[in-house]
Amino acid sequence: MERDSSGGGDSSRKEQREGQQCNGNSDGSAFAPSDLQSNDDDPGLRRKIRSKYRDLINSMQQNREDLLNPSNNRLTEVLEEANNLFKDVRQTREAALDAQLLVVASDLGKEKASQMLADGTAFDTAMFTERLLSFMGINRLEDDDDDDDEQKGGANKGYLPADAWHRLASRAECCFRTAPSFHFMRGSFHAEPPPPKQKVVRQSRAPTKETTRAMPTQMKKMVESHQEATEKEVERILGCLRGYHQQDPLTPISYYEFVIDPTSFSRTVENIFHTSFLIRDGWAKMFLDDDKLPCIAPVEDDEDKGQGSSSCKQCIVSISPKMWKDLIDALDIKNPLIRAPDTQTE
Amino acid sequence: MTQRKRATPSSQRQHGVSALQEDEDDIPFTQPSTSQVQKALENVTPAQLDHKASEVVQYFLVKQQKKIPVRRADLVKHVVKEYRNIFPEIMKSASKTLDQVFGLKLVEIDNKNHLYILISKLENVDGPHTSVSSPKVGLLFVILSVIFMKGGVVRENVIWNTLKKLRVDPGEKHAEFGDVKRLVTDEFVRQRYLECVRIPHTEPVEHEFHWGQRAELEVSKVKLLEFLGQLHDQDPQLWSQQFKEAHSSVNPPSS
Repeated sequence: MERDSSGGGDSSRKEQREGQQCNGNSDGSAFAPSDLQSNDDDPGLRRKIRSKYRDLINSMQQNREDLLNPSNNRLTEVLEEANNLFKDVRQTREAALDAQLLVVASDLGKEKASQMLADGTAFDTAMFTERLLSFMGINRLEDDDDDDDEQKGGANKGYLPADAWHRLASRAECCFRTAPSFHFMRGSFHAEPPPPKQKVVRQSRAPTKETTRAMPTQMKKMVESHQEATEKEVERILGCLRGYHQQDPLTPISYYEFVIDPTSFSRTVENIFHTSFLIRDGWAKMFLDDDKLPCIAPVEDDEDKGQGSSSCKQCIVSISPKMWKDLIDALDIKNPLIRAPDTQTE
Repeated sequence: MTQRKRATPSSQRQHGVSALQEDEDDIPFTQPSTSQVQKALENVTPAQLDHKASEVVQYFLVKQQKKIPVRRADLVKHVVKEYRNIFPEIMKSASKTLDQVFGLKLVEIDNKNHLYILISKLENVDGPHTSVSSPKVGLLFVILSVIFMKGGVVRENVIWNTLKKLRVDPGEKHAEFGDVKRLVTDEFVRQRYLECVRIPHTEPVEHEFHWGQRAELEVSKVKLLEFLGQLHDQDPQLWSQQFKEAHSSVNPPSS
């Protein structure tokens, strides 16, 4: 049937139906014969009024363009018709339809008014687009078939160069106070969160197992080589120590003279490190001589090697480059007692 | 979904609750009162405040790439977080930094839904531009010009017809712009350059276009009119109505 595009019409019509029932009940005379004659409640007349209203609303919607035409007064005529209809309206149901019509009419009125405003300022979009095309550098083709193009109309002549819109944008940009966008100079990672990682994890599970299996064997080798290097070094130092001791068993070897390498601080530290192993394992012993200076001596074969743990004491030896230099000066150390490992092979 | 989230603490649901949108997990943010802010400031070192303000600044700068307005709810949720009690102070500080360091103005374009955008405060320098401008600016300029010159509102047909004359057909894929219809009705609208309103009582549904809030703030109508005058070899004053409007609504980009 009729279909008002405004949703409000439907709900108001529903309300009207309910309202009408209430009215009927309160009056108590909806179908009493006497009331058929009064205008207030004549259902036939009311039906006619409603139907006329609906027709009017429909025609307004269908003849929209015609009503909007500034050259006629159709809209005013429609309003006058509505006014006439309204004279016979007594009940809310018809009044609601009248209100609906007014809503449609006022929308049209608003649009008609805005159109008038637009015409007054005389801005022609066709002219605008022509000028724009020229600005953008349109190539108006030199044609052989002039007749065809004239039929198509001027707007379809020519083609735009590739940078047409860029040209326009450059010029138009100065009208905008846009805040510049911030971009990392060297680019950035993709700002959006990465796709779900679950698949990746599952795929890589298998290989990691194998790599972990491979890992221990590799590690063992490395650790062994380190251990071997340290052990070798420690043994070599023990050899040095024993050698010096044999040369002069009675004179204690000054600890600092033994470990310090006047040419290299780092070698000195390494020597201290390796010597500490000897002492820890009981191959050498440290003691204070008469001048209370630390001395080191190899432990003889018949002596206890670290078994008398109650007599073992621990101490921490630290050295700084300054101390190292001071010791060199104080003890007048010229040559390292422990030769650097590289020189041994020569 | 929004209904369920609104059912959280009713005490918060008083004035100033921003319209909740999709991803609001925690309680809605209400602007703290000045006394609350003062009190909360006591527990925060200036260094912490500066740090948060800097984060807010960075957030805005990155969001500016897409030019979609920043929602206050997002700002609170992702950046300000536990410092929400001193939110106004943080915003003040961030706004100052954006102003003095970057020459950008932070504007709240929607007082109800609390949306913010960034605008440049500096006047454009005439002359060759160092950065390549996006051709979309050209398209936007055309649309905004038509709307402005036609009194501020234009039915969508007028826009589509104008664009067709410029070889841009919303029904076809354009070499430069792709899906033109989407660009105009979706992207430009979301960036608040355009506003697209349904015309009531139309069947089938038609829309009309207005200038969006961002356009009102960013675009200089005076300069627009000047360029149009140049294009048409016409003194812009001859368009008396638009000329008047352009010069009356000039907002000096003051601090």
